[in-house]
Amino acid sequence: MKILVTGGSSLLGRTVADRLVTRGDGVTCFQRRSSGSLAQDKLGDITDRDAVNLAARSQDAIIHLAALVAPKAPWHSMHSVNVAGTSNVLDAARECGRLVHISSPSVSFHDAAATGERTAVADYSGRDGYARSKAIAERLVLASAELSTVVIRPHLVWGPGDTQLIGRIVDRARAGRLVLPDHGRALVDTTYVDDAADAIIAGLDACQPSSPAIGHAWVVTGGEPRPLRDLIDSILTAADVPDRPRSIPAPIAGALGSLLERVWPGSEPPLTHFAARQLSVAHWFDQRETRRVLDWAPAVGLDEGFRRLAAWFAAKG
Amino acid sequence: MLLRRSGGSDLPGINDWRRWGLDPRWHRYVKVEAGGDSVTWSVLDSGETIADDGDAAVQGTIVCVHGNPTWGYLWRDVLHELGGRWRVVAVDQTGMGWSERGHERRLDQRVAELVAFCRSEINGPLVLVAHDWGGAVAMGAASHLDVRAVVLTNTAVAKPADVRVPPLIAIARSAARATCEQTPIFVRGTARMTDRVHREALNAPYIGSRRRSAVAGFVADIPVRPTDPSAAALLGAAEAFGSLERRGVPVLLIWGGRDPVFHDRFLSDLIRRAPHADVHRFPDAGHLVALDEPIGELIGDWLHQRLQTETAEVLTTQGASEARASDFLSILDPLTTRRADPSAAYAGPDGTRTWREVAETSRSIAEHLVEAGVLPGDRVAMLVPPGADLLQASYGVWEAGGVLVVADSALGPRGLRHAFRAATVDHILGTPRTVLAARALGFAPGAQRFTLGKLPGAMNLLERRRGRPVELPELTRGDLAAVVHTSGATGAAKPVRYTHGALAAQRDAVRDAFGLEGEHGFISSFAPFILLGPALGVSCVLPDGDILKPAELDFDACAEACRRSGVDVAWLSPASARTIARTAAGRTFPLRLVMLAGAPIPAALAEQLAVITGADVRAPYGMTEAMPVTDGRGASRQLEVGTDTGLPLPGATIIISPFDEPAGPALSPGVWGEILVNAPWMRTGYDRRWAVDQSSSISRNGVEFHRTGDVGFIDDSGHLIQLGRVQHVIVAASGPVPCVTIEQPLVQSLGRDVAAIGIGPRGTQVVAVVVSGDAPLRLADQPTTAKVRSLSSYPIAAVLEGQLPVDIRHQSKVRRDLLGADAARLLEGR
Repeated sequence: MKILVTGGSSLLGRTVADRLVTRGDGVTCFQRRSSGSLAQDKLGDITDRDAVNLAARSQDAIIHLAALVAPKAPWHSMHSVNVAGTSNVLDAARECGRLVHISSPSVSFHDAAATGERTAVADYSGRDGYARSKAIAERLVLASAELSTVVIRPHLVWGPGDTQLIGRIVDRARAGRLVLPDHGRALVDTTYVDDAADAIIAGLDACQPSSPAIGHAWVVTGGEPRPLRDLIDSILTAADVPDRPRSIPAPIAGALGSLLERVWPGSEPPLTHFAARQLSVAHWFDQRETRRVLDWAPAVGLDEGFRRLAAWFAAKG
Repeated sequence: MLLRRSGGSDLPGINDWRRWGLDPRWHRYVKVEAGGDSVTWSVLDSGETIADDGDAAVQGTIVCVHGNPTWGYLWRDVLHELGGRWRVVAVDQTGMGWSERGHERRLDQRVAELVAFCRSEINGPLVLVAHDWGGAVAMGAASHLDVRAVVLTNTAVAKPADVRVPPLIAIARSAARATCEQTPIFVRGTARMTDRVHREALNAPYIGSRRRSAVAGFVADIPVRPTDPSAAALLGAAEAFGSLERRGVPVLLIWGGRDPVFHDRFLSDLIRRAPHADVHRFPDAGHLVALDEPIGELIGDWLHQRLQTETAEVLTTQGASEARASDFLSILDPLTTRRADPSAAYAGPDGTRTWREVAETSRSIAEHLVEAGVLPGDRVAMLVPPGADLLQASYGVWEAGGVLVVADSALGPRGLRHAFRAATVDHILGTPRTVLAARALGFAPGAQRFTLGKLPGAMNLLERRRGRPVELPELTRGDLAAVVHTSGATGAAKPVRYTHGALAAQRDAVRDAFGLEGEHGFISSFAPFILLGPALGVSCVLPDGDILKPAELDFDACAEACRRSGVDVAWLSPASARTIARTAAGRTFPLRLVMLAGAPIPAALAEQLAVITGADVRAPYGMTEAMPVTDGRGASRQLEVGTDTGLPLPGATIIISPFDEPAGPALSPGVWGEILVNAPWMRTGYDRRWAVDQSSSISRNGVEFHRTGDVGFIDDSGHLIQLGRVQHVIVAASGPVPCVTIEQPLVQSLGRDVAAIGIGPRGTQVVAVVVSGDAPLRLADQPTTAKVRSLSSYPIAAVLEGQLPVDIRHQSKVRRDLLGADAARLLEGR
């Protein structure tokens, strides 16, 4: 099968591409810079409709991972990458007929805890540009009737080489700047990168008109929620960082996030209100239907994942 | 057909119906002709929508009759819940609701109109559902109609002889025009008896005094004297209701326990007139129970059961006919056979009583009671502290044919008031102090008072009775003996019914299984158990000290009481067992048998008691509804998981049924599930809780089993291994797991108490382990967390540390409900 992977330079995109190549698919990665994966690259911008169309020509399916994640990027860039970019991909996908769209659980975040919830509607419309734009994009995808679509929402993906989550946590802890709301008591589920990649490939395999997965969004997690503190502790242990974060009351973390969003000079404030809220309340999901429909289960999980992370940090030195 | 409008308010439009939660298509007008008079009724008829949706066969017709001053809206839940399967017709009586105004009506005319309506509108038999004075109208009509079943809610067909006219009715009646017509006081007052959301709809047809004339007329028509115009019609309704049993018409009484008008004594009156009635009382619902509770579902379940399965009924009747009086040895028997025995039947802090004294005193109490008018089946609230008085009074009540109504004082004044009111006790029996308190707290309004001691206005049962012996009733197996309220340690207290047959069977089972006969007396730190002494014909002993605080019974007190009285069996609650073990300090005293009851007992504690007493230590499985069920052998056996409760007693049957699906097949040995129990000494249902009866019972091959709400399995040697409560089973995505499966290995390896809690929705729960500690609940420190995770073979999401709340009653059951809520809140963040 010939598959186009957009956003192949991210940890998850690269992992998906590599695993597809390994199992014998013909994979092309589409992004602005080299993906560093085993697949062949086709460089281009997701906001460039012609480039996307060209890349998608004669493909059998598209896996759309490309997105802008920067917390404080202006809305027009968020919109052009995450919404208009997805619209471009949708157009291009009409020819191949199958699209796996990668979304995020934050598209249904409403400042309330998710404790064993089933997948909820992507109706976020708050202040966070990323979640808002991803929600619009997901609705666009699910509304398109002409092609088979599956939406996967991987929750907090991490693994060796991850700069987004692990990198930031370790850097901040080393600098003594990591704080946890309410001692990190909220139960949070995460997804090891290989497991998330497997789930996306399972989504691709299920992307057929007869599958119950079609036309729906599926939150994907490792299914092992832990208090945030325990997760951070495992990450820092793996990275051999002795310091442990301090605790601040959750309401103060929220207020601090709001403040930093406004006064921080760069595009990446250390905390936003949205992020503070997401870290203050539980986030874990009912995975029964997801696993049944996608015929997928995580193979790596937390304990093995942390072992691999430790080995990676040790090798990196 | 035009409705003659004589009032000020507008008829409801489509949006009104919708706002009131009623389907506009249900509404229509019907012309009713009776006695040469014609009147237009407004009715809500789900027949209009069945035709639309109708694929399934219609089960029949239900006619609902409201009271005063409500209207068809009252039956909203019945229309919604049953309207798709049944044709539900809720009528508005003449001058009421949206029916035609301007006609004065008496009860007999209302009855005639309902009969005429049913005859012209409904083909075939029907189910009558009625409320308030609609009950009298419907029952008046019942004798003229082909009735399949009757459901009544908070109503009356007569004023019970011992009840005054309800004050609210008396007030309304004395100034009917002022309270009911000229002002909306009566209408608004009634609407206030239920939730605010119903008020607009209830008030709507009665806005403007001219629309309320029938409300006043209805009240004025209530007969309170035999000479009142409608007295004869009401008598007819009462007779028709009373004949339902003979006619084979099943009756369901649904009752709101907080009705200031039709209170529980009216319920008692109805039960007396229809002894075959099923009763479900909602303790917290009011006069408008039809709006307060989901009665549609209840009625649907009941109709399904009563109209379609008649086999169960046949079985129970057969069982009852077997119970011949002649070969029945009731629990009163030993008091007769040992009536001249000068040896001690009881010893306690209040002194010693010989068999002769106990037999004579209880006999005298019984004769007093019968002479004072206590009838067989009368309910007597027992407010007597544990001791000789309780023993003698209880047996006295039983000899008089009375029913003990017992509630644990741990329920507190509110709980006790609830319990005694719900049971509608006819009499109160207590010490002068408790009877005074019961009166002040309104435990049993209108009940006759008996005291063990002097109290003005109450009969002193301890006074020597003079005069000729009174004949006492003979007891049969089927006679109700007691209504016992469960401890409420792990939920709301439930009223459990015991027959004399069950009590006698319990006596036999205890005697045979534990050798309690002859000279083997016993000491009990569990006060109610002394009642078994006279039944078994063995002496019973209460230790010194406060019997209501079993945790205070220490080694010295127990050893001393046993030595003094020469008993060799101890029946201990877990709390006293723990205290005795703690205070023994290496000392011993000999006993033959130690029985532990009340909660699962740790094997280590049983082993300690075996060392201290040298006794055979047993912890039989059982519950208020059936006690005991197993022989309790294996109490000292330390299991990896669960508590060994021993072999089922002869006569008792245990079935293990798939968890969450008790109707499924019995599980094979070794597989865990819910424990179902049958024994000749188990409860006969719950008092006035028809729906609870249904949910707690299950029939297998025509035999009724009690759903214990416990889980367990039968091991290779046939022992029942208990694994805790159904509600404490953690249901994870990988499947259900009893919490003890996680807890017990951790307790053994950590050496600390732990509780495993399921977090999140059942079916996808994750496990939090709470390690016992002194501080408020919080995340456990990292080393403890890592240790628990590594010791447990089950995946643990979170490890917490904090106090484990225990129940007040037994001080031994961890309140997982409270702990679970706290843990869930903590892990949810904020």
